[in-house]
Amino acid sequence: MQKEEFSKICRELSSGGSHALSRAILPAVKEHLASHNKKKLPVIWLETNDSGDNNIAFMNTAYPYLDRVFTEMLDLLYSNTFMAAQGRDALSILEQVSETYKGKFTLVVEGAIPKKDNGLYNIIARTETRCITALEAVTRLGGPAEYVVAIGTCAGFGGPTAARPNLTGSVGVRDVLDREVINVSGCPVNPDWFVGTLAHLLMYGRPDLDKLGRPTLFYGFTVHRHCQRRSYFDNKDFAKKLGEIECMFSLGCMGPRTGADCPYRQWINHVSWPVKANTPCIGCTNEDFPDGSSPFFTPMAEKSKGQEGGKNASNQGGEQA
Amino acid sequence: MSKVRVMFSPVTRLSGLLSVDVILEQGRVVEANAGGTMFRGYEWIMRDRAVTDAVYMTQRICGICSTAHGAAASYLLDELYDHELSENAQYLRNIMFAADFLQNHIRHFYFFSLPDFVKMPERPPFHGQNPADIRLNPEDNQRLAGHYFEAVKAAQESHQILALFGGKAPHQHSFVHGGVAAAPTADKIEQALALLGNISEFVKSRMVPDTELIARVYSDYFRLGITPPQFLSFGLFRFGVKNEKFLWRSGVLADGRLYPPRLELISENITSSWFEQTDAEEIKPAPLKPGAYTWVKSVRYAGRYFQVGPLARMMINGFYQGGAATMDRIYARTMETLLLTELAREWLKNLKPGPPPVSQKSTPVKKAVTAATDAMRGALLHAALIEDEKVVKYNIITPTVWNFSPKDGLGGRGPLESALAGTEIPSQNMLFTILGRTIRSFDPCISCATHLLDCKGGVKAEAVF
Repeated sequence: MQKEEFSKICRELSSGGSHALSRAILPAVKEHLASHNKKKLPVIWLETNDSGDNNIAFMNTAYPYLDRVFTEMLDLLYSNTFMAAQGRDALSILEQVSETYKGKFTLVVEGAIPKKDNGLYNIIARTETRCITALEAVTRLGGPAEYVVAIGTCAGFGGPTAARPNLTGSVGVRDVLDREVINVSGCPVNPDWFVGTLAHLLMYGRPDLDKLGRPTLFYGFTVHRHCQRRSYFDNKDFAKKLGEIECMFSLGCMGPRTGADCPYRQWINHVSWPVKANTPCIGCTNEDFPDGSSPFFTPMAEKSKGQEGGKNASNQGGEQA
Repeated sequence: MSKVRVMFSPVTRLSGLLSVDVILEQGRVVEANAGGTMFRGYEWIMRDRAVTDAVYMTQRICGICSTAHGAAASYLLDELYDHELSENAQYLRNIMFAADFLQNHIRHFYFFSLPDFVKMPERPPFHGQNPADIRLNPEDNQRLAGHYFEAVKAAQESHQILALFGGKAPHQHSFVHGGVAAAPTADKIEQALALLGNISEFVKSRMVPDTELIARVYSDYFRLGITPPQFLSFGLFRFGVKNEKFLWRSGVLADGRLYPPRLELISENITSSWFEQTDAEEIKPAPLKPGAYTWVKSVRYAGRYFQVGPLARMMINGFYQGGAATMDRIYARTMETLLLTELAREWLKNLKPGPPPVSQKSTPVKKAVTAATDAMRGALLHAALIEDEKVVKYNIITPTVWNFSPKDGLGGRGPLESALAGTEIPSQNMLFTILGRTIRSFDPCISCATHLLDCKGGVKAEAVF
């Protein structure tokens, strides 16, 4: 499969009964691996400061399901969530694989990186004599990684972990590494965005990225552009309260300045998304989430007036609606 | 004989980051200091926000139990705005909540706990598994390892039920104050029933027999990891117009007697935690504090530590009459999973297709509200002080804080630390294996546990601060 075709599948709107978006990924990866004699993608996954929602989101991947991702796509060499090894056995594995796969592994970081007090607000492991902070681990592994992928909005831009007053001085991975970071934002990430990005890395290398370092194939258009309620917006027909079927711009919807394909990709085997559940999009893929989106149920123009938390109040790299 | 210190870190296969500092003497654990090593300061983050943001914001405390925080925040706001809940809203809320429980329990048992007892295939992410004390015969072992991969779909389908009504998962959108914003339409109910059918089948034909087999083969764990028999639950699954009815009762079980919980008897302590008191009303993080070893605070009820979780719920409701050991906790969780599949089916059948069961008022009737419910891992409390619909203070006590309470300087150990102390370690090679089983039996969630903020302790029933 050629890169263009792959990107097309990822972008394609749902047609008929088949949500071919992710269902097509696995066979394509298998075929590609077979024809190019490539191995699976070696991944080192560090959990830092977030809620752990992104590893749960990853478990929700469908077509391919998690078991097939493990057996056919990734070699998850280190993961606090999944690995069978524990204690110093796990730590030895981390040391060993970061050496063996130097220059070849993909570093996945899940969570923001606290910088205050030398990063003591997140310790990924301890030994009898010292603490390994997330700051140290990400800095050390970021260099020798072939790719660095920040999964979720905390890892990408700080997210809820760095929300005001940000006592821990947390930042996104891009702010502690002097190199390109692929941001797969979302709170949590949609598993398709993450698994699709890894599939791209495996088969074609780095995907095209927007200004915020996010793969354009998932984040290239605003939620607003493809929203099923767009006609209500255009007719200025707005919902007055939750549960109504009209446009929820009046109820704080962030769709117009949020780059994500939720309206057609949807969530958890593509069954629904927040607007379909009669609630506004809260802009969780954005650089300034959550401060730039709060109060969540207040119309966009009146949100967070005078708040410094919104680092980038302009368009978030998604195409303007 | 001299003491040996071993740092058990990282304790993998759980939510969040945990290190346990273990002191051994003559092959026996004489002390264990459990350290939650991540801190985000969520109660500070909640300050000055619109209180109605609490449902979405607090879900982001925890990825594996997000609906529990959303539920607690919704109950809190229901009381703040004096909402009235329809019967349909309560059924739908409970279906969504139960779906997240199913997701949690299935993932915990298969992804986190099972590799403690079953030899997994020697490939990532299972490479380097310590095979010491794997006791199943090869045939059983292979079957159970295979079920790990079947659990992938059952857990995903549990979240699919949640997303059908909630828009997404984790961090669902429609379970909000005043009810549920999504409409329970016939097609969704039917889809949810079909998914639940698959999940039920998995739980009955895999999870229950797998748990029973492990309980039989590792029956010594009914005598290991024992905690004092003190259990607490805030009750689970609300019904009634004012959330006033519980399906599963709340209770404090101590000295063989059951009492209703009184929230004013809860107290917190920061002796071993990386916090310092700045004045009577405020504490602040202090990561260099000497003698401290965790971001988790100590929480006690009437001056005593209490265990929370599925075992506590099953004991308090009279569904389980066993001990308080490692295998009892694992067993009770599976038993609860089975009960939940049956309850969710009943609720889906009672749910009437119709419009979104939500009605929100806009004027707060109180300034201080507290909501207590059980979450997947046990008792969860949210409490807020509000001014002009903005949060002045928001306090959260999560289940893992109860179970992973560090020493409070008054002597005695919290549930986890007391379960670890005294454990015999026959060979050094089995240290992590044995302790890992007991630690995971509490289903710890460190991302949840390390957000505490309170003033001097003493949570009052109505006004928390």
